[in-house]
Amino acid sequence: MRLNLLAWRNLKRNKRRTLITAFSVAFGVLLAVTFTASGDYSYTNMINTSAAMGMGHLTFEPQEYNDNPTLEKRLPDAEAIRKQVTADKAVAAAYIRIIGPAMFASGARSTGGTFMAIDPAAENPEHNILLRNLVEGKLFTESSDRGVVVGARMAEKLGLKLGRKLIFTVTDKNGELTSELSRVTGIFRTGDDAVDGGIVLLPMDLVRRTLQYEDRAASLVAVYIEDQRLASALQRKFAQTVPLNRGESIFTWKQTQADLAGLIAVDRMFNYLMQFLVGLVIAAGIMNTILMSVMERSREFGIMIALGMPPVQVTGMVLVESFWIGISGLLLGVLITAPWFVYMSRVGLDFSRHIGEDYSAGGVLIDPVMRFRLYGENGLIIMAAVLGLTLLAGLYPALRAGRIAPVESLKGHH
Amino acid sequence: MEEKPIVEIEGVSKTYQAGKVPVQAVKELNLIIRKREFSVLCGPSGSGKTTILNLIGALDTPTRGKIFLEGRDLGELGRGDQARVRRERIGFVFQSYNLIPVMTAYENAEFVLSLQNVDREERFRRVNRVLQEVGLEGLADRRPDELSGGQQQRVAIARAIVSEPAIVLADEPTANVDSATAEGLLDLMEKLNREKGVTFLFSTHDQRVMDRARRLIRLQDGRVIEDEVRP
Repeated sequence: MRLNLLAWRNLKRNKRRTLITAFSVAFGVLLAVTFTASGDYSYTNMINTSAAMGMGHLTFEPQEYNDNPTLEKRLPDAEAIRKQVTADKAVAAAYIRIIGPAMFASGARSTGGTFMAIDPAAENPEHNILLRNLVEGKLFTESSDRGVVVGARMAEKLGLKLGRKLIFTVTDKNGELTSELSRVTGIFRTGDDAVDGGIVLLPMDLVRRTLQYEDRAASLVAVYIEDQRLASALQRKFAQTVPLNRGESIFTWKQTQADLAGLIAVDRMFNYLMQFLVGLVIAAGIMNTILMSVMERSREFGIMIALGMPPVQVTGMVLVESFWIGISGLLLGVLITAPWFVYMSRVGLDFSRHIGEDYSAGGVLIDPVMRFRLYGENGLIIMAAVLGLTLLAGLYPALRAGRIAPVESLKGHH
Repeated sequence: MEEKPIVEIEGVSKTYQAGKVPVQAVKELNLIIRKREFSVLCGPSGSGKTTILNLIGALDTPTRGKIFLEGRDLGELGRGDQARVRRERIGFVFQSYNLIPVMTAYENAEFVLSLQNVDREERFRRVNRVLQEVGLEGLADRRPDELSGGQQQRVAIARAIVSEPAIVLADEPTANVDSATAEGLLDLMEKLNREKGVTFLFSTHDQRVMDRARRLIRLQDGRVIEDEVRP
């Protein structure tokens, strides 16, 4: 008789116990999906938000620009890099940008900050958090315009309104201070004071002229990819396929946003640790139930061994039972997790009342709505881990079953 | 002509630990069981009957001495080989039937053949034949809890003989059944012994079994005190 059939019948003998055990496994699936999917969503969200603040998921830039972003450092032909990487299927978009420090003044008031020069014709709000959060006016339309988009906090500090003049002063490529006049065309509000009070969007051509840059030069090329997890693989690929000048490099968001990468790494480890501990508790419960069922059937196992069943097959039979408990638990887990997952993917839990709309970590705004997103491979890992833990939980009882001495188990049953 | 020995027991002793006290269940036992015997081990409780069956059945190991089954020293076998000897050369009938509750009568009888990897068609043929021999035709699909005590013990006998073992060890096989059923079971086992040449070794208190024995081995305190061969 096949072990599978025998194991399955054994499980059906005590349906309630089997169901309770399968529910423990299913609960494990629910918790694992909750932990993993909330992590997958929030990490991806943070990474994409961080990328949308200007640097992209991958950044081509001059050497040491990331550590000390001065305007002398630039890519002489950023346009060529942008064109080449855009052709890659994994790349959603690539933008050339000039980013650097500047002084901003209006009337008698002035403040320091960072400007980001962009090409208004090329920019897509999906990849630019500042454009996504325009609350007044609009983006300048021409790259040679004298338009400027400022944050709401800076507008308050400098008393700026739409149409008002703003003078920005920068150090050009030769190290000379130079100033230009522009007019406010739009105001954004992200909710992050550091961003709203310190970053200004300027037209690319105007900035190039001001800095005396070459026509195709820029500080960096920000590359946006569909799946942020491919950043390192694409970095390796581009390092070989994109011809770069000496001193030009390509970085992933983990390198340009080291704080965020560290924060995510720590949080992810904590998440895994929690999952491991919860998994252990659930596995201990499952082990206890399987062990109980083995002890109750010690006479049967004794008979089987007495009749000549190899102990290893007895062990195998209990492991097959654990396997079916795991499979049933997984199916049950999918059933009970699916509605929760769908709700959390589409609606989510809004924590804005508790943490506010402008909560940030690692320099990145955090979405106050907790949602789910589960990468396929993580789903598979959860299934494999849950099944593996169930088998592991069944291992000790299975070994006990295989070690039962028939003489002992048959004693006292006369 | 004398039949070939199936079991040879040479100077076997078995000592158990009952807590801190050693209990000698079998003492310096020498015994030979031959093919086609219908022998009975009898004696009061604690005389060593079940221990001897366990030792012959490779379910337990002697403290001293040797047991040979068809010339093979059981003491030399590892756990895996012992299991192989049990499934291929020994049939067991236990006092309380000890059928596997999740299996039908057919599957219980088939169990040992499955362990031996006998092919499906051969299993089907042999199991049906044996179930017919023990009078269980028509009950093959019933599970143990759907059978009477006597029917369950018949399934156990079918399970014990289906693989055509060298010897069937039956530990108090009539203890849990009524008189009529016990007589029926004994008739069956006698018939299997007579017609099929199945060797039986019983342990029992039951006078009915002793009356049918062709060899009666009386035990007391782990020793043979009488070995009577009947015509």
